[in-house]
Amino acid sequence: MPVAPPPVPYEPDDRWVPVDRRWFGLDRETLVPAAIVLAIAIVMSIVIPAINDSVPYDDGVVAGDVMEIEGGVTFIPALGWGITAGVRATDLPTAGSFPPRATLVNGGAMFTVYTAPFAGEANALLEQIKKTSDALATEKSLRVSDDSTAITTVDGLRGVLTSYSNSNADGVIAAFVVDGKGIEVVSTGPIDVDPTITDDVARMIVSISHQTGEDSR
Amino acid sequence: MSASTVSTASDLTAARTGAIEDSGWGRSFTFYQPRNAAFWVYLMLVVSGAFKLFSILSASAAAYADAIVLSVVLFSVYGAIFWWFTHHIDRYARQPVKLIVVAFLWGSFAATWVMAANANDAILSLYAKVFGQAWASDWGAGLAAPFTEEIAKGVGMLLLIALASRLVRTAFDGFILGAFIGLGFQIFEDVLYALNSAASQFGADPVGAAMSTIMLRMVFGVAAHTLYSAIFCAGLVYFLGRPAEPRRVGRGLAFMAAAMLLHGLWDSAGALVQGKNALIFPLFIIMIAAALTLVVRVFRMTVPRERQFLRDILAPEAEHGVITGDELTALCGDRKARKAFRKSAGTQAARKRNGYVLEAAADLADALADSRGTDTGRVEFTRSEVSRIRSGQPSIKA
Repeated sequence: MPVAPPPVPYEPDDRWVPVDRRWFGLDRETLVPAAIVLAIAIVMSIVIPAINDSVPYDDGVVAGDVMEIEGGVTFIPALGWGITAGVRATDLPTAGSFPPRATLVNGGAMFTVYTAPFAGEANALLEQIKKTSDALATEKSLRVSDDSTAITTVDGLRGVLTSYSNSNADGVIAAFVVDGKGIEVVSTGPIDVDPTITDDVARMIVSISHQTGEDSR
Repeated sequence: MSASTVSTASDLTAARTGAIEDSGWGRSFTFYQPRNAAFWVYLMLVVSGAFKLFSILSASAAAYADAIVLSVVLFSVYGAIFWWFTHHIDRYARQPVKLIVVAFLWGSFAATWVMAANANDAILSLYAKVFGQAWASDWGAGLAAPFTEEIAKGVGMLLLIALASRLVRTAFDGFILGAFIGLGFQIFEDVLYALNSAASQFGADPVGAAMSTIMLRMVFGVAAHTLYSAIFCAGLVYFLGRPAEPRRVGRGLAFMAAAMLLHGLWDSAGALVQGKNALIFPLFIIMIAAALTLVVRVFRMTVPRERQFLRDILAPEAEHGVITGDELTALCGDRKARKAFRKSAGTQAARKRNGYVLEAAADLADALADSRGTDTGRVEFTRSEVSRIRSGQPSIKA
């Protein structure tokens, strides 16, 4: 014979909070988990980035340094600049390949070299860079100029160079293509940048080289 | 009637009531809880994360709209398959869809864009500053993401417990809700990976570049965030303890550490094989196999409590002959037990009918949990459905 279950007691809805758990209208028991999560979110999104911002890069370029990026592309960084991304040619990562980007900074100036597969010539690469840059541009973005000039590196690599600017900053963009790999160089800085910085940028661009065959990693 | 019969029936009924109470089966979930501090923290972080993701996607849309749409569509389909599978294995005190959506959105927006993304970028940069760029390139991701991402996803479980304390009662609940948190994280992380790929070739072939990333992420995503979070959150529930899950600190820590270890090894694969590309694919296969083995073990460790709840809820029905002992055993057993029960029937039609009987009995358990064990009209109807299907009669809608 079935046994009748005990009568179902009244159960308040999910929003009900017992009077002895109320604290300024909030359920006191939910304060600790909420505070823990909020604290972890603050640490992750504010504190750790702030710590990172407070730690300066002290990886300065020294004589003899050569930067290498993916596909055997190298360049000679200028003395006094700081390396914020990228690896020296003598410092191949354990994973066996160099990262595709290297970035150096000096004061307000920035110099970055990036490589990726590209089917086409240097002019086409520059057009592609301009097209993408224009598509992503906002009112404050730097704009790629329509004019370009040919450039040849010390190693004989032929490419094109154009200016890149807005009202507060300017710089250059260079494009090279070799063995199906595009090489994009972007350098920007304040309008009143020191002429020595401009010279450094020019020297770094013309130092770009590409190792082929067995030399390429 | 003997005294022992009365006592047994009474015990079974008491066990049923206790199981419904302990499991939270059939309880409702209300998202809008203005007196719950966890509700406000959840809302603030999820909305912030959604806004940030929208900003990222809208800023890139002009150049990569096709790649974004493609990745969102393909990963939505991919996510739907994982959603179905995870919902399918949650066949016991099933979580309400509303709570599952809340878990999914935490992983999609808050854990991803407010917490992990910011911390990852900063930690990778710090590693590069302290240990050098090459070291950071090799080991940075493997020593940042397992901590930031597993913790970011895992703390969502703390909020879910505070928001739905009547529903999150066992490590199995943590396992299932953790899987949905991880699924949300994985889908939207993958969308960003696809977007990064779209931009990788100077924007020359955004769809082609994104497509190869999408395919890779789909193949290797089988043993990724969904799985890590399921293990981590089951561990978190063990670590904290719940009314229906006694606290087991050691097991909880071991599960959480295992999820982080799996994640870390995965992110360090390139450095582990030291550039020997021929080894990377076998290593991935080994890692996936290890991850799947572990998640199955965790499932098997957490699910018995849920099966016991189901057994306690349906035991009085077996006692009264509504279902048979074999049906109860099959329903509260694993996939193999259910399959054996179906096969025990001779003909194809009878096998099919045995499968339907199990489903009807599961409906009865749901109805009993909803009614808190009382005999409502719905309970009586689901009982009659079990009998009808067993006898092979047509349904009332026939």
